Formats: sequence, C-alpha cells, structure tokens
Amino acid sequence: MNGEGEDASKVIHVKFLTKLDSPFKVPVTSVVIPSSVTRLGLSSIVNSLLTLEKPEAFDFLIDGELIRMSLEQFLLAKGISAERTLEIEYIRAVAPRKEEKPSLHDDWVSAVDGSSPRFVLTGCYDGLGRIWSSPGSCTHILEGHTGAISSIAFANSEGAEGVTVATASKDRTLRLFKVDTAESGDSTTRVGAYKILRGHKASVASVAAQKYGSKVCSGSWDCTINVWDSNESTSELSVPGKKRKGNNQAEEPQLEGEAETTLVGHTQCVSSVVWPEHDVIYSCSWDHSVRRWDVETGKDSLNLYSGKALNTVDVGGEGSALVAAGGSDPILRVWDPRKPGTSAPVFQFASHSSWISACKWHKSSWFHLLSASYDGKIMLWDLRTAWPLSIIETHKDKVLCADWWKGDSVVSGGADSNLRISSGISIS
Amino acid sequence: MTKKKSEAANEDQTRDTKKKSVSAVKSSQKEKPVLAKQVKSSKEEEDLLLDSATDSDYDGDSLSGSLNSDDFDSDVFDSEDDASQKETEGGDKDSSEDELELHGNEDSDDDDEGEQVDSENDEEDGSDEEREVAEESDSSEDEVAPRNTVGDVPLEWYKDEKHIGYDITGKKITKKEKQDKLDSFLANMDDSKNWRKIYDEYNDEEVELTKEESKLIRRMLKGEAPHADFDPYAPYVDWFKWDDAIHPLSSAPEPKRRFIPSKWEAKKVVKYVRAIRKGLIKFDKPEEEPNVYLLWGDDSASDQKSKHLTYIPPPKLKLPGHEESYNPSLEYIPTEEEKAAYELMYEEDRPKFIPKRFTSLRSIPAYENALKESFDRCLDLYLCPRVRKKRVGAHSIINIDPESLKPKLPSRKDLRPYPNSCYLEYKGHTGAVTSVSPDCSGQWIASGSADGSVRIWEVETGRCLKVWQFKEAVKCVAWNPLPDFPILAVAIGQDLVILNTELGTDEEQQKIEELLRLGTLPEQDEAVAAIVSWLPDETYGGIKIKHFKNISYVDWHPRGDYLSAVMSAGETRGVVIHQLSMHKTQRLPIKMRGLPVCTLFHPTHRGMFIIATKKNVRVFNLQKRELAIKKLETGLREISSMAIHPGGDNLIVGSKEGKMCWFDMDLSSKPYKTLKNHPKDITNVAFHRSYPLFASCSEDSTAYVFHGKVYSDLNENPLIVPLEILRGHSTSSNRGVLDCKFHPRQPWLFTAGADSVIKLYCH
Repeated sequence: MNGEGEDASKVIHVKFLTKLDSPFKVPVTSVVIPSSVTRLGLSSIVNSLLTLEKPEAFDFLIDGELIRMSLEQFLLAKGISAERTLEIEYIRAVAPRKEEKPSLHDDWVSAVDGSSPRFVLTGCYDGLGRIWSSPGSCTHILEGHTGAISSIAFANSEGAEGVTVATASKDRTLRLFKVDTAESGDSTTRVGAYKILRGHKASVASVAAQKYGSKVCSGSWDCTINVWDSNESTSELSVPGKKRKGNNQAEEPQLEGEAETTLVGHTQCVSSVVWPEHDVIYSCSWDHSVRRWDVETGKDSLNLYSGKALNTVDVGGEGSALVAAGGSDPILRVWDPRKPGTSAPVFQFASHSSWISACKWHKSSWFHLLSASYDGKIMLWDLRTAWPLSIIETHKDKVLCADWWKGDSVVSGGADSNLRISSGISIS
Repeated sequence: MTKKKSEAANEDQTRDTKKKSVSAVKSSQKEKPVLAKQVKSSKEEEDLLLDSATDSDYDGDSLSGSLNSDDFDSDVFDSEDDASQKETEGGDKDSSEDELELHGNEDSDDDDEGEQVDSENDEEDGSDEEREVAEESDSSEDEVAPRNTVGDVPLEWYKDEKHIGYDITGKKITKKEKQDKLDSFLANMDDSKNWRKIYDEYNDEEVELTKEESKLIRRMLKGEAPHADFDPYAPYVDWFKWDDAIHPLSSAPEPKRRFIPSKWEAKKVVKYVRAIRKGLIKFDKPEEEPNVYLLWGDDSASDQKSKHLTYIPPPKLKLPGHEESYNPSLEYIPTEEEKAAYELMYEEDRPKFIPKRFTSLRSIPAYENALKESFDRCLDLYLCPRVRKKRVGAHSIINIDPESLKPKLPSRKDLRPYPNSCYLEYKGHTGAVTSVSPDCSGQWIASGSADGSVRIWEVETGRCLKVWQFKEAVKCVAWNPLPDFPILAVAIGQDLVILNTELGTDEEQQKIEELLRLGTLPEQDEAVAAIVSWLPDETYGGIKIKHFKNISYVDWHPRGDYLSAVMSAGETRGVVIHQLSMHKTQRLPIKMRGLPVCTLFHPTHRGMFIIATKKNVRVFNLQKRELAIKKLETGLREISSMAIHPGGDNLIVGSKEGKMCWFDMDLSSKPYKTLKNHPKDITNVAFHRSYPLFASCSEDSTAYVFHGKVYSDLNENPLIVPLEILRGHSTSSNRGVLDCKFHPRQPWLFTAGADSVIKLYCH
C-alpha cells in the first residue's frame, strides 16, 4: 500500500476506437492511462500513438457523450465503472483549422448564404448582394435595392450554368437575380434583378427558397409571411421605368411579382423564415413564437413559445426535425416538436453573452450547429455536450449572420463589414 | 436496707404534699360557708342568735385556715401531677359511684380515722337538723390542733423512733405498723376508694378525701373558682340607676387636656426626631455598593437609564480623523468636480465637512458658521425642547421588526417579463443624448443629442440609419404615433422641426411630402403670430416652426395631427398646440398659472389635455374651454416629467428631488403612492404601452423599472412593485440618464445617457 498501489487505483484501461481513416487510426489495443487526464491529455496520447507529423486535435466520446472534464470526473458524473476496459471513441476535434482571408465589404454584412458549395452569397447594408466564389474574389454584384439587404438566399442553385438568387431588403421589396456562373472572369459583373417582388408594407426581414421548386417565401416587419413565385415566365407585368425616380441607372426590363399566399398569424415582425421541406415553412417572430406553416392550407400547425423575441430559426438535426432558435437573449434553444405534450426546449446553450443573430444546423451532421451572436463570437455546438466545441472570435464587432459552407467551413459576416471564412472543420 | 429507706422517705414526701394539699382544700372549703353564713346572718340575724356565738369562734379559725392555705398554695400545684394521676386512675369510678360514696365516705371515716374524725362525724350527725350549722361546726372541728404536737419539725427526727410524736396529752403516738409493700398494693387494688386516700405523714394516718374535696381540687387545678356555686361571670348589675338621670354625673366642663396634644407624646416624638437627625435611627438599609462592575461597559446604557427616566444620552460624536486635520494629505482633499457635485446636492445630503488645506495653523480662518450655529442653538433652546424621536429600526425604542412593516409584494419572478439586462448599445452620438423616441412598430428609434444631431437607429442591430445635424442642441424628439406617418418632431432651440424620415412606403412618402410642403399659410391670430411662425426648413425639407422662446418639450396627440410644444420660459403663453394638417397654431384656450414643464394628450379621451407646471398638474378639456377639470396636488418641489398610463386614469409624475408620484385620477387628487428611489433628480418617467410596466430614470445614472398593474375593477388599487435597478450608464458632467422610453411592443427599455450612449435593456 504505497505509491505504487495508489497509482494502480487511479489508472484506467482504455481502448481507443475511431471511425476515421488510416492516418488517424490507432491499433486496437488496451492502453493504461491515469484517470486524471483531460481531453488534452487524451489527445496527446492518441497523437503519440499515431506518430503524426503534425499534431492533430481530437475529441473523445464515451457512450456518445463528449468528454469535457477529467476522465475521472466524467466517469463519476456518469456513473460508469472504471473496472472494465473503457472504450473511448475519438473524432477529429470540431474546430476551424484555417482562417481564410477576410473579404471586405463597403458596409455591414447582414446576410450570408453558404448552401451552394460553389459560392457564398452575402447581403450588405449598402444594398448590394455579392457572390463570392472563393475568399476575397467577388464574382458578381447584385444591385438594385434602395435599402439595406437583410437576407439573401439561393432560390435555385441546381442549374449548371446559372443560379437564381433571392434577396430581401429593408426597402420592402424582394428581388430575384439570375446569375450566369459560367462566365467567370477576373472582373466582377454587375447583375440587375429580373424580378421585383412587391407587397410587403414594411421592411422584409428574411427570405427562404423552396428546395426543389420555384417558390420563395419572405418574412417581414408587417407581421406577414408572403410566398412568391420566382419563375420568369409566369410573371405577367412588365413595368419598365415605372420608378418615379428619374435618375435610376439602368432602365432594364423588370418583372414585378405579387404574393401568391400570405400567411398571417404572427403578431409582430417575422424575423426569420426557413423552408426545409416541400410545403412546410418554419418562421420565428418577435412575438416570441416559432411557427410551422403548411403552405398548401396556409395554416400554422405548430406554435412553440419561447418567451423572448426571436431573431433566427433553423431546422435540422436528427431527422431534420429539431428546431433551433435564438433571439433577444444569450440562450440558444433547441426544441423537438416530435415530443408530444411539451413545448419546453430540449437543449439550451447559454455561453453567449448577447443576442443571438444567427443559428444554423450542419447539413449532414445530426449533432452540430453553429450560432452567431452580437458579442462577436460564433460558437460551434454539439448536442452531446453543453459546452461549445469551439468559439470563433475573428469578428471585431457584432456578428450579424453566419452559415456553414461546403460542410467544413463557417462563413460569417458582421458589423465589421467583413465576410470571414473559417475552414477546416472536420465533421464526420 | 438503705434503698428501702430512701424509698420510704420518698413515699413520705409525697404523702406529705398530699396531706398539705388536702389541708389547703379543707381550709378553702371552710371559707365559703363563712361567706354564706355572713349573707345568712344579714338575713336572719335574730333567728340565729345562738349560732352567732359559734360563728364568732370560727372567724378566727377561718383566718388561720386561710393563712394555712396561702402557705400551701405552691404545694398544691406541686402535687398536681399526683392528683391528676389519681384522677385518671379513678375517673371511671368517680362517675359511677357518686351516690354510694356519700355513705361509704362516712363509714370509712369511722373506720380508718381516729377519734377526732369520729368526733367530727359525731358532731355532724348530732347537728343534723341544721345543715349550715353542722357544716360550720365541721370546719371549726378542722381547726382542732393536729393529733401530733411535735410541731413543725423535720419528721426525720422520728425516723428511728417507734413513735412519731406526742399527742396533746403528752402520750407517745406510736407509729403504725408498716404494711408490707405487697400487702399494701393488694389492699390498694382491692379498695376502690384507694385513689382518694392520702397518707398524713405528720399524724401517721390515712385521710380519705371526700367527693366534694376531690372536686374542689380538680377545679382549682383547672384554675377555676374552687366552689362550684361561684359564678365568676355573673351579669353586672350596676349599682346606679341611670334611667331617670338627665344630667351627667359630673357637670365639670371637658378638661382642656382632652383637646391639646399630649405633652408626653410630643416629648417622645421630639426624642425620636433628634435620634433620627443624629443618625441613631436608620430606616433603610445602606445600599450595597457592588464591588465589581463592568469596566468597559457602555456607561450611558442601563445604569443611567434606571436612575433618570428622561435621560437622553447625547449622540456619540465621530472622532476626528485625518481629513479634519488643518493640513490633511492630498487624497482627502476633494477635487473641483467633487466640490461642484456637492454644490448640486441638496443641503441635507451635502457632506458636513469638506477637508481644506492650510499651510499653517495661523492661516486657519475663523469658523464661518459660528454665529449662525449659536443663534440656531439659542432658538433651539428657546423654542423647542429636545424631543426624542421614535425611530423604527434595530436601535429604536419601540421594537418593531422593520421587515414586518414592508408591504407584502408579489415576487419579482412572477412579474416577468421586465427589462433587466442590457445587450445592445447604440453608439454614435458625440454629446449627451437628451431624448429618445421609438417608432410605433418598434423597428426604429430616434434620438436627439446635445451635439445637435438627430439619429435614427435600427433597434434590432443598433445600426444608425440616418443622421440630421443641426446647429443647436436637440431638446426633444418625438415620433409621430401613427404607423403610416413616419415623421419626427424635433425641438431645437426655438425651432420645432418636422422631419421626414423617408421610412414609409411610396404612397406614404407622397402623403408626407404633400403635408410638409408649406403652401399658402392660413391666417393666424395676431396673438399667435407674435409667438409662432411657420417656415419651410431649407436644409432637410421639412417644416420649421419658430417660437419666441426655447422649446423644452414636444408631445404628439395620439391621432397624430396635433402637436403640443412647451416653452418653459414662456409662462402663460408657454404652451401652444400646432395642427399639422392645417399648418395652424393655437394658443391654449385656458388661462394657466406657473411655468409649464411638460404636457400630455390624454390617450383615450380626445379633448383632455394635461399640463404639468413646476408644482402642480392640471387636467383641462380643450373642447369645453373651461378652467381646469382637475388639479392634482403633487406636493413635489419641482416636477420634471410626467407620463400617463395607456388606460388614461393613472398618471405618474417625476420630480427633481427624486420622488415619483402615482396618481389615480379617479381616486383622488392626492398621490396614491409616492416613491422615493432616486438620490438625484428624476429626468423622465415612462409607461409601457401594453405591459404593466413603468420606469423612471435619473441623474444618478440609473433607471428603475416597476411593475404597475392597473385593474379594471375599480375597487382594486393599482399594484406597484419595484422590479429592477438598471445600471450601466456612466455619469458625465454630473448628468446621468436623461431619457427613458419603453419599446412599444417588447418589454424593453431604452435609456439615453449623458455619456452619449443609448442602451436597450431586454427581458
């Protein structure tokens, strides 16, 4: 019963498992490690086992839970026996490994969309939308809005040679742009809208497009959600030069569209809309509610009450059914609408220190989502732990928008007028 | 032998005493018949002439007898024990054999006693016919000298002789044969009358007491009169007949001594008084000085209190510190700013002593307040006694738990949501933000600053959307309450500028532009034209309404067409109402007293107009042109701001002494509640449009949020609960938060600080 005995009582037999491929695979043998090691210690052990040239950060899972304390504490907290050989799964740590060059805008970047792997769309307070093919290289500028752009979305990114982009602006209109992506020159092309969607009585706060369709929906400060048709052919009115302001630059033929359907129910500004399925729209509003709308009937089939004014909503996660929303407090809430009889959030993440301006689920992972906040931070979350996986603090001011891009990058824009791309995030 | 002798001697002694007592009894028995005889003799002197001779004989005897009895008195009581013993022994027999004894007595007398006794009896028998005489003769017989004539000599002398003395004839009286003890005991036991027998040692004979004699003895032992017939408590028969006596026995006047205090008593009193004075008599015990006491105890506490009921301990003065030195170190000296701050404080809040520095003691000036304070002290002494204030608290005289005095209020948790934390700041102004106003949708907020700029901000992101720059400081901004009419009224110096924010839709813009275009102005009254003129604003394309005095406050009518402007310096002409659609100005149709501070249009009743002057709040009806409908007595020193509940019946008034009054205008003209929260001036108060919230902001850089629920039930008073103190603003140039407004739809509060920041507090 000396020092040796004590050491023996504080060691654990572990076996490292992984789903990663060869360079990151360790031989499946039991290893004896002290129980006081933390994630960093485990990571260094795995690194020494792998003998990599460049050290790699890993995250460790026991029974599907991420380790965020010392191994001993974790086992005690979860009531897992340390007698048997512990199987620890490791994954590459979800953290950006590379920070791309910031792309400077003329004004605050208010909207970003990274749903197409080829481009990043940004909306800016100077009223222009921009298409970036890579960090720092802007290929197209979408012009026409007289007010700040509040939201931007790919309406149809399927076409090989052209994509359709929808923008929502504080000038109460939405505009649809057709961008020919084939012509990729060094210079940036200026694109005008082919269609203007008028009908909102106040600033449009958010726009979302149907995934495999031609429809676009928008939420506005006039408390309504409008559903529009984005097709070129169906638009009936051609109003060249209808604008009163004579000094308008290009007198190009413009189509004007009217709302197909108006979804009324929110009592305050509809701050965010998402269109994840064919005829289901989720929206959140400053009236503290998240609603699910059936586009066919125009009725809301779900109403989640959060108690705070909401700025952003996204649907994803397990079975694309979890609803994440953030708003006028530092807490990111995740609901599971499939759970009957309860409207309480199933997860609450409270590491931010100010309003949450954006939250997005990872497209392929069930567990990962990001949130951006006015405190200047973007946080990556895993549902399996209450701590943020990593915090991206590249912005110097409020972060107004953020999105995943290409599955391994985070694009974000903020009040420092920069589009920032943090890449190299490995999400298995 | 010696033993026996001693026993015999003892027996003799007891017998002796018995005999003595008997003789005493006999003598007393004799006395009574003498008395009786005397009475009788007085009755029938002649009848008993014969007897009288014998009577005279007896007289001397009776005397000698009485002497004898005197001698034996003590002895009688000595023999008490024996007699009582005998009594107890023969008590039963005594009662049962009363009758028999009489005869037996005689017989036994005959048997036992000698000749003398026989002769007695003979004589008795002989004088049968006259009982009394016989008795007398009996007693006379008793005085016959005893048989033995040896006299009063110790009988011991005859102890060893066969005789005990000599009889009258000189013959030896031989001792009787001593009975054997056993025989005598047996004889005693056999003879029932034995207890009555007494041995007369002197005469060497046994005497048997008669029943009467024994009774006599018994009575004497009890301390009663010896003879049974004698009644010691016979009723008193007065010898004087009072019945017919009219006059007192003595006609002497009441003696003087009955009326004067007794000389002897007086002497006695004087004696006592002297003794008391000299300290010879002490009434109370000397107080015990406790030889131990609490050395470090508070001497002002229990000790003094118990001695003097009204003793008020003087307040303990703070000991002078370094700051009171004539030359304190630099850190004690207040800076100029601090001194200026002291000047701004109310006199009672101001620190009493401000450290100053002197190079030498010589340069210290005279105490400036000396005269004033001594005068005050004189007044104090002259006019009002010092009164002990009954304070409530831990050190109070009445012990009331201060917690119990607090009203029962609902928990803050139950009153959510309310603004509590600041997440957003709107930065951009370079001077103190004097006024904020959110638009009715809650998307934008306008602010005016001392730097002369008016800005519009996006609430959601904190982005500044528009800036208008003016030459003078902006006093007040107000957003038009109509949602489709986004224009701003801005008070800058003497100008009231209507600004087009260009935030509306195209049609709305068109309407606004039309409205803001000043065509031909309608005719104004002369009185109005003297103080107000409508001009187009060249720089920003709005309307500029020029007033004759600086405008301090602007308020829109809820319908958005009328607009009131307050000029504090304008006095009676200090409030004007502009009509935007007609481009026309009206003076108030009512006479007004005092300097106007702010005005309000009633939110529900169209014609009602509320004006707050420096001291009072008056409610007018503009349509009826009457005097004030209502006057609210605030009791405040100087009103600074006012806000009305959207229901229209409740009003809050903020004052420059930090007090806020809640008026229930239906209830009374006095404040329903007065809240004193802020240590400094309240700059503004605000009601929320839909949530039961109200707030006040103050120069002390804080804003207070309250829950203020107004019930539709008229019987229920409004519920006011303080909720939160919102801090965060910093003081700049002694000014704190200058304005606060609630978000129209969310439970959020905007505060405008003198530190040129607008903060949004969210729930």
